Amino acid sequence: MLRVEGAGKSFERILFEGLDLNLATGERMSITGPSGCGKTTLLRCIAGLEDLQDGKIYLDDIEVTNIPPEKRGIGLLFQKPVLYHHLDVAGNLRLGKRDADVHSALKEVGLDGFADRRCEKLSGGEAQRVALARALLAEPKILLLDEPFSAVDEELRSRLLNDTIALLGSRGTTAVLVTHNIKEAESFSKNIMTM
Amino acid sequence: MACSLGGCNGLKRKFENIEVALPFFLFSALVIIPLLLALDRLIYVSGKMPWQVFSSLDEHYLSQDAIGFTFLQALLSTALTLAIGIPIAWQLGRYHWPRIRLMRALLTLPFVTPAIVAAMGFMAILGSDGFDLRGERSTYLVSLLFAHAWFNIALVIRFVDPVISNLDPRMEEQLRLLPAGNSRWGRLRCFWIPLMFPSILCAAVLTFVFSFTSFAMVRWMTPSNATLETVMADVGGAAGIENYQIYSNELVLASSTIQFLVLILALWLLSALQAKRSRTIAEVSESHSRKKGRTGWLVLIPALLFCLSPLMAVIRSSLRVAERGPVISHRWTLEGWQSAISGDYAYISIIDALQNSLGYAILTLVISLPLGWSLSSGIHLLEKRGSYWAKPLDILTMLPLAISGVMLGLGILLGIIRISTVFFTMWWMPAIPHIMLSTPFVVRLLLPAMRRQDPELIENAQVLAMNRWQILTKIRMPLLRGPLIVAGIIAIAMSMGEFGASWILVRTGAWDTLPVLVDQLMTRPGFDPLVKPTAMAAASLLMLTTLILFLVAERFRPDGDGGMF
Repeated sequence: MLRVEGAGKSFERILFEGLDLNLATGERMSITGPSGCGKTTLLRCIAGLEDLQDGKIYLDDIEVTNIPPEKRGIGLLFQKPVLYHHLDVAGNLRLGKRDADVHSALKEVGLDGFADRRCEKLSGGEAQRVALARALLAEPKILLLDEPFSAVDEELRSRLLNDTIALLGSRGTTAVLVTHNIKEAESFSKNIMTM
Repeated sequence: MACSLGGCNGLKRKFENIEVALPFFLFSALVIIPLLLALDRLIYVSGKMPWQVFSSLDEHYLSQDAIGFTFLQALLSTALTLAIGIPIAWQLGRYHWPRIRLMRALLTLPFVTPAIVAAMGFMAILGSDGFDLRGERSTYLVSLLFAHAWFNIALVIRFVDPVISNLDPRMEEQLRLLPAGNSRWGRLRCFWIPLMFPSILCAAVLTFVFSFTSFAMVRWMTPSNATLETVMADVGGAAGIENYQIYSNELVLASSTIQFLVLILALWLLSALQAKRSRTIAEVSESHSRKKGRTGWLVLIPALLFCLSPLMAVIRSSLRVAERGPVISHRWTLEGWQSAISGDYAYISIIDALQNSLGYAILTLVISLPLGWSLSSGIHLLEKRGSYWAKPLDILTMLPLAISGVMLGLGILLGIIRISTVFFTMWWMPAIPHIMLSTPFVVRLLLPAMRRQDPELIENAQVLAMNRWQILTKIRMPLLRGPLIVAGIIAIAMSMGEFGASWILVRTGAWDTLPVLVDQLMTRPGFDPLVKPTAMAAASLLMLTTLILFLVAERFRPDGDGGMF
């Protein structure tokens, strides 16, 4: 499904070089490492938001290294949830799928009845759940998660992570989680890469 | 303790209430009372109510078609301003450009350029020593539209550029990874248009307002067409006098009523849009991630040329004198400047006019800056208290923006001077409309800065047992030094460039300001080749003074401060 070969990127210093990565369809992977080691940059390169300096990226055996992000079919959850405040929750979900069944999508992430809420009224955890529901509605080939629950307290974080794992498992979504918390990485996937 | 805690708080609140009420009372007295007195005078002299005189506009040859032309030129000017301004704001906000502060300053310079200078610049470009298009009457309207667009593109830049330039880049990145944003059109439809729309509409409403009330440009660019503003200016001098040119009272009453209603509506719309704009502004953050612009030079270089050419043309014209022969030719000379300095063609020289302008400007500064500060502090205090009064008082401070210079001048003339001829001799009278016009700008610059200020800084000073005066002078004012300097300079520049009200109120040649002097020279009857370069020299001096003030103000403008002006 996802193959990264000899990836290299430097920004004032070398972030990573000669990096290889392989992920099969439906598989989940965690990437860990200390702050500033290039985990987020790697995710951004896979998503196409940044260019690799060396190496190639393949999706379903098709090279996508120079393909713009919008053509790759990849989903990304940022560290801080990105919701569009000029739209309500339902409007944000429809960005993922125009004819989305908003109510069942929200029910899936435990936010039943939130469709008409204004985004600025949501808590950090609720906003990230909306972002997750939206990303899943888009049915991406791979979902990349960049420490998506780091802004919420520990108890809520572990609950959100468990819910996300269950959701991804039931859908068979291929996913990569970036985290510096080794426990989170272990509960997310057996496949762990340390940078 | 001298008083119980509750008692002290009660006393403090009473003191604060007086502090809030006093500047608003003074401001209302300055703005509203002259207008009400003027209205009363016009109704008394004409013997009719405003709605009974609307038809007089179409009946009199001076004002025929004025309503239609006012709306037409204002709407077309707004459309053209947006068509030119949006691509410029997009390029400035989205991409990385070398010397962007300077470029932004140059592109927004027209807005603070006195309208009479702008009119002279366009006249010079289109005149016999330029493209020679003034002989074609069909070009008048188009040239007026471009002149208005030139003047107002700064509004589009000031409103739209900060929304784009301070945008959190993840907002767009996230959308690119979602189906709705996988095409340019999708991103435009789902994100950019909703994000920019309130700001574009704010700019459009203000452009409409300024084009609707434009005086100097209409007077010079389309002399064969009247707008409500030029009608008021032309006949206003004779209004308010019993049994004298009765029609002038009716025309002023009708024009000012229609203008006031339209502008109040525009102001209400602007206020609603501002609220919507601040909601979308919530989507922007401090992060800056600009891409490198490549093809944007195709927009920015013509834009810079467009903004600077009328100004260059004014200076050039001040150095050129026409010579009559079989064909009109021009030669380079300093004679225009010499006659401007000696005052040969006017009652006073440009040096005296500059002194007058500076005198009115300093008077304006001394009153409008403290008044604007007090008004802003009052609104900010009410906002912090969550008071219902904050919004209406905020709108009240914008009221003079909806009243044109000519209307304000007539308000003073009809409301105050006609009541007692003693006021005729008071040289400071023309400064009153300058204060009224510049105070809203001061408030628009100071209020956002006060809102951004961390309240803990003040609270900490209170804990350190500083009194109100110490907090004001040692904490609040130094922290707001940048916006205060910008507001002060803008107030001076506004006063120096003000034309409409001064044109009506300057009663003797000895009080002539630079804009009035320019107009006076250009309307001098008969042909004398030196008159135009003399007028252009006066316009150049006014322009250069404003330019220096503006560039100094830009140095103190806080980063990322689109503000309103």
